[in-house]
Amino acid sequence: MTSERTPSTPYGHVCWVYDDPAALDRAAQRFLTAGLAAGERLWYVAAGRAEPVVARLSAAPALRDALAHGSLEVVSLGDTYRTGAVVDGPAQVRAYAAATEDALAGGHRGLRVVAEATPLVRTPAQLDAFSRYEHLIDRYMRDRPFRAMCAYDRREVGGRAATELACLHPETNAAETPFQLYAHDAAGHRVGLTGELDESTEDLFGTALERADLRPVDGRLVLEASRLRFVDHRALLRLREYARQRDAAVVLRSPRAAAARLTALLDLPGLTVEVAR
Amino acid sequence: MRTGAAADHHGYFHEAVRYDSDEEMLAVAVPFLLGGVAAGEPTFVALGERTGGLVRAALPAGSGVEFLTGGSVYARPTAAIRSYRQLLADQVAAGAGQIRIIGELPQIVFGATWDWWARYESAINHAYDDFPLWSMCAYDNRITPPHVLDEVARTHPRFATPGDVHLPSPTYTEPTVYLREKCAAPADPLQAAPPLIELTDPTAAQARAAVQAVDRRVLPPDDVDDLIVAVSETVTNALRHGRPPVRLRLWAGPDRIVAAVSDDGDGPKDPFAGLLPAGNGATGGLGLWITYQSCNHVSLHRGPAGFTLRLTAGNPH
Repeated sequence: MTSERTPSTPYGHVCWVYDDPAALDRAAQRFLTAGLAAGERLWYVAAGRAEPVVARLSAAPALRDALAHGSLEVVSLGDTYRTGAVVDGPAQVRAYAAATEDALAGGHRGLRVVAEATPLVRTPAQLDAFSRYEHLIDRYMRDRPFRAMCAYDRREVGGRAATELACLHPETNAAETPFQLYAHDAAGHRVGLTGELDESTEDLFGTALERADLRPVDGRLVLEASRLRFVDHRALLRLREYARQRDAAVVLRSPRAAAARLTALLDLPGLTVEVAR
Repeated sequence: MRTGAAADHHGYFHEAVRYDSDEEMLAVAVPFLLGGVAAGEPTFVALGERTGGLVRAALPAGSGVEFLTGGSVYARPTAAIRSYRQLLADQVAAGAGQIRIIGELPQIVFGATWDWWARYESAINHAYDDFPLWSMCAYDNRITPPHVLDEVARTHPRFATPGDVHLPSPTYTEPTVYLREKCAAPADPLQAAPPLIELTDPTAAQARAAVQAVDRRVLPPDDVDDLIVAVSETVTNALRHGRPPVRLRLWAGPDRIVAAVSDDGDGPKDPFAGLLPAGNGATGGLGLWITYQSCNHVSLHRGPAGFTLRLTAGNPH
């Protein structure tokens, strides 16, 4: 089963990059409060001890009640992820899938999680594996009622890593994120693409595509890019090469007729730009 | 196998025809075309409406000469090179031993945009040299300005005149030399006023946003989008290959947008930059080539203040 929702519909996978923990607190409270209204089970996965987080969340009366009723739980990172290790993406998706089904069985409308994920992306190997997992869980969220705010401390992970993570989320507060590549359905062959792609994003786009590890269906990859503001020839060449390596053709659905003209100039069999204004 | 004046020539046999009367033009064109057909060579006409009509009328019915639509072929130099190279490659693949073409540039390009067509005339000596092509570029002395005729002589290795006469052009200059010379395109009158926007060391994204900001919605959106592509590539090139500071200036008029991208360097080292895709299609060499096909005029300005590429969307004339 796949979701028919349009890519512009926020489905609740937010990358929250922060320098100020107080700003994260406010954002997390808003995110969780929205889940409360939606009848979802709520988790806050804390990087450190649970008690200070409980104290901070309790400042919001609705969340204090939810903590008391057990519909909001604060758990420590080690209980949810194996910290220090490189994440096993498929296993982590299975864990959240089980928790989501458990929430549904318990009468909730779904599961909503705020995760302080900074300790999970400290080394390059951790960052790579966790970024790949971010796209896997993004696919799952397209299909099932699971939502997450993934919080990263920019002061610890650094600007580059934060951008690598943010660009694999459909929503982010990090305004410097030049583009976003995210799941459009659970199958893994259709993704959404927004923002701007040029020479300055060449490496980042290549990295994001590799980590998203798209899976062609019927020999095709589809990029739903109705909100793509700019795409240059480098990105088009890369997309075509990426699809070619997967023995697939690639379709870019974009309002930008300039992208179609570029594709015609470059003569790129295997890449089609469908212009839909 | 090649025939006629180009029989012993390897590669591109490039001639200009400067004529004072229609009769003189026909006296060169008609034997050239019929000779091609008689030799079984693909033979094309890419002349404007008036001149093409004269030639068509002078040829026997069903002559076998093919007429290309001159107007769209000569819209932008780089696009002309691309489509001619494709045409030539197709003909060679089909077994042609020689291809003959007579063409002419529309009169409008002898004005503000002549500089990039002069560069075209020079560059094709190299760009078409992969093919057994014999072509004649027709120039009507009655409507072609003298300074344009001077450049015609410098960009064509030889002249064709009636009676199957083919004379070397004494001032012909190799494209690798010609294209490196300072070629001054006239300033656009819009440049007399201060620019609407001036940015120093903008990112490509900031440069794109600036073009959008000066768009008064008088040009078709596709033209503005193509200019955005061009400005983005030009700024990217200047940041990567030029010498800082990189400066973007933008002007908008009732029928056009003009962008000037400057840096303190000397400009591209490749004399064919923009006119041909650089290298073997590697990503880095494509930016200027795309720029040349995304604007209605691109001019180069080299001076003590560095290098400037000026791009025009809309009406450049």
